[in-house]
Amino acid sequence: MAFRSIAPLSAGARRRLVLQREFSRLLSPLAVPLIGIALRWVFGYRIECLRDFRREYRRICLERDGPVMICANHLTMIDSVVIAWALGSPWWYFRHFRTLPWNIPERSIFAATPYMRFLIYALKCLPVERGGNRAEVNEVLAQLTHAVFNCEVALIFPEAGRSRTGRVDPDTAASGVGRIYRSIPDCRVVCVYLRGDHQDDYSDMPARGERFRGSVSVAELKTDYRGLRASRDIARQIAQRLAEMEQEYFDDRE
Amino acid sequence: MDQTEIFEKVVKILTPYVKNQKALEGISLATHILDDLKVNSARLVDVVLEFEDAFDIEIDDDDVDKVETVGNAVELIEAKIG
Repeated sequence: MAFRSIAPLSAGARRRLVLQREFSRLLSPLAVPLIGIALRWVFGYRIECLRDFRREYRRICLERDGPVMICANHLTMIDSVVIAWALGSPWWYFRHFRTLPWNIPERSIFAATPYMRFLIYALKCLPVERGGNRAEVNEVLAQLTHAVFNCEVALIFPEAGRSRTGRVDPDTAASGVGRIYRSIPDCRVVCVYLRGDHQDDYSDMPARGERFRGSVSVAELKTDYRGLRASRDIARQIAQRLAEMEQEYFDDRE
Repeated sequence: MDQTEIFEKVVKILTPYVKNQKALEGISLATHILDDLKVNSARLVDVVLEFEDAFDIEIDDDDVDKVETVGNAVELIEAKIG
């Protein structure tokens, strides 16, 4: 498979990325435990088989160095926070900061106020306006790609938005995730399926006291297509894997 | 194939993806695909892949970023057809 670069990243953008990373690293010993405490004790969330989740993510990260991209299902506005909490302890992220995933949240929701902008900046987020100016969107995707290329972990939702049906639909996968994957040689894709017991379809927040279950697996991806079709095929394969994990989730619950 | 034929074919391909049907009435080369026609940005790739099939051409990932207006699409296709 031929690898394609997304837009080249300017020197200024690279510096901003490094600055944000270091700022985030500085705050992470405080921010990461506080978020964990808020999720567990303020919202009452629990992750079923938390140890298994974290053990698997540790295994994948330590198995070998190299780029890692997490692809997950998307049902609530705080999925990325819950997933990061599920995958690693504060101590793990302190010791392996690169594994705390970068995110690309919707700017109009998560960067609406100066306080929110500061918070997401400190939490390795690169806000993006979905469907907005193409040059700006491409710049953010280029930053994210650059981060993953340099062995930082990124979290992406292949469906590009919360699932309106509550189920993963491979046909709705945006090709952007395939394009990012194709631009990073030797990138591993870690699929994460996580869902609250009371999560029937999409919502802003999971129910208070929610218990999450799910699974983690590495996707094996291969395409014989070229160009755009290759990007779309890869995106669909990732979403298909998530759909299979979703089926396993519901089978386990029956 | 001349520009008018390409334009008509492009509009035909775009039509099922257009959310703002009113904008189709006055569609021209200057019409913005995302802003005016309100085509979902995530679906733009599907549109471009239909261009590939309809005109028997291959469009690169990077070329998609250049397609903002109907005119951009027509020019790109013209260039690919040669």
